[in-house]
Amino acid sequence: MDEEYDVIVLGTGLKECILSGLLSVDGLKVLHMDRNDYYGGESSSLNLTQLWKRFRGSDTPEENLGASREYNVDMIPKFIMANGLLVQTLIHTDVTKYLNFKAVDGSFVYKKGKIYKVPATDVEALKSPLMGLFEKRRARKFFIYVQDYDEKDPKSHEGLDLSKVTAREIISKYGLEDDTIDFIGHALALHNDDDYLDQPAIDFVKRIKLYAESLARFQGGSPYIYPLYGLGELPQAFARLSAVYGGTYMLNKPECKVEFDGSGKAIGVTSAGETAKCKKVVCDPSYLSEKVKKVGKVTRAVCIMSHPIPDTNDAHSVQIILPQKQLGRKSDMYLFCCSYAHNVAPKGKYIAFVSAEAETDNPEEELKPGIELLGPTDEIFYHSYDTYVPTNIQEEDNCFISATYDATTHFESTVVDVLDMYTKITGKTLDLSVDLSAASAAAEN
Amino acid sequence: MSDDDERGEEYLFKIVIIGDSAVGKSNLLTRYARNEFNPNSKATIGVEFQTQSMLIDGKEVKAQIWDTAGQERFRAVTSAYYRGAVGALVVYDITRSSTFENVGRWLDELNTHSDTTVAKMLIGNKCDLESIRAVSVEEGKSLAESEGLFFMETSALDSTNVKTAFEMVIREIYSNISRKQLNSDSYKEELTVNRVSLVKNENEGTKTFSCCSR
Repeated sequence: MDEEYDVIVLGTGLKECILSGLLSVDGLKVLHMDRNDYYGGESSSLNLTQLWKRFRGSDTPEENLGASREYNVDMIPKFIMANGLLVQTLIHTDVTKYLNFKAVDGSFVYKKGKIYKVPATDVEALKSPLMGLFEKRRARKFFIYVQDYDEKDPKSHEGLDLSKVTAREIISKYGLEDDTIDFIGHALALHNDDDYLDQPAIDFVKRIKLYAESLARFQGGSPYIYPLYGLGELPQAFARLSAVYGGTYMLNKPECKVEFDGSGKAIGVTSAGETAKCKKVVCDPSYLSEKVKKVGKVTRAVCIMSHPIPDTNDAHSVQIILPQKQLGRKSDMYLFCCSYAHNVAPKGKYIAFVSAEAETDNPEEELKPGIELLGPTDEIFYHSYDTYVPTNIQEEDNCFISATYDATTHFESTVVDVLDMYTKITGKTLDLSVDLSAASAAAEN
Repeated sequence: MSDDDERGEEYLFKIVIIGDSAVGKSNLLTRYARNEFNPNSKATIGVEFQTQSMLIDGKEVKAQIWDTAGQERFRAVTSAYYRGAVGALVVYDITRSSTFENVGRWLDELNTHSDTTVAKMLIGNKCDLESIRAVSVEEGKSLAESEGLFFMETSALDSTNVKTAFEMVIREIYSNISRKQLNSDSYKEELTVNRVSLVKNENEGTKTFSCCSR
């Protein structure tokens, strides 16, 4: 360990692993450590034994649930937008070669106590009972506007400057009903609360476009994809990228204490009496708890089931959004289900999650509307975690701390944080449109 | 992702090489895949996997052989490394008994993380260094027998048994898999339903990945 590194990365969560990979590819000398003896930190996927250890103390799981290692239960369940930033990052780094993905079967939305499929095709949209006939026509006009909207082409803007006009104003221009707004804003634009209505409409419109483009990409029943064996595969794949480019990996390192010089700049990391020197430290909030502040709390139920979620056409993988207004909440709740089809459970078993930003201190009661949609469960675990954001000034201490994974249903905000950190660490902007493997192949010739 | 990816391919097997640092894992791989040997190779950097084909029963069988990318140095090989592996070479160095003593640990890790019947072979590498041998052939053989592994001593330096060892593992996998496929028609179907392939959106034709530059 007594070497000097450009960057020491602490924690092997997804954000840290993507950064480690990108920095190694850039030619920086990276040491990556984790206090746990497994990869992934908070974004790992647990097997049954690990799940029991974490939530049930030392109990051994019941045998009728099947083999422990056939379970890969995400601790931060999210789906991947097929045309989103994470996919662009995977392609940019060629990390796709370590992973296998399958499309997610369906996306649903909760309305007045029932769930409805979010239409994936024109035919489905025509048949959908989500809207009345006249409302469908109005909505169709709005979707055509969104589809044709091109930031660079003023003609497509129809005289509206979306960086000034609010989402509420755009919606009222098309005369959409409240339920439709709820549906578009939460199930398509995937806003977690209603704050977006009074913000510039550009983000809202871009989010709907992302949904539509993702839906079109693999012609599946949803805009999402998900890796075989669970999300815990993602940090590991980026860690391999880092290792392939020379990054050094150490797990099971106790303490991992960041050392500072007299002026408060990070100069190294000590573990078990040995200190490795470095110029910069990258870590998750748990490694520098004195430099972060709490901003919220996510609450979650993890369920093992022997059946798909009812009324989802027996979908093996599905997302259901429960918009806040439908539940009288301040932010959305969402369900997420995966099965043995994605190798996250043994044959016949399903893993379902109910998640929300905590608004009370009673997760069981708070998550009830979502859990009631699941039908009977074999096992159910509740857990909550606080979310943190960094409070330090990077120029002063050379520490780059990621924000805790939020309650959103997909990885867009995760990758935005990573790209932002990458820019702060290197002073460069990452151009995701470049294909690294193609670029390096060209450089060799 | 390249065209010779597993989708649509009749037989493509993933094989992993494990074992302590500096036992010659990367050199075994480059000797087999490219018939090269680099005596000065430092700890592995830049090696991904190599794909090698052979004919069995008139069918082309491809083996995709993975190297640890140096993550074994501080015992940090990812569980994902073992995903989908149907064959494994557990390598030790016949001149260093510590690497032989650690074989058990590597087997434990393999058994914890691999999810199918894996064809396993124990390999005592560097058998050209007879004069400083620290692990006898008998010791290797008896460990292999007790653990139910194939066994062979190899030399990546002078090529002894390298090809034979890899091909033996590939044949064993082939016979395991063919039996499995006969037993279950839905086997392949289940593997491929809903699979998506992540490549760039633009049509830029076939892309080859350079996987083994140093």
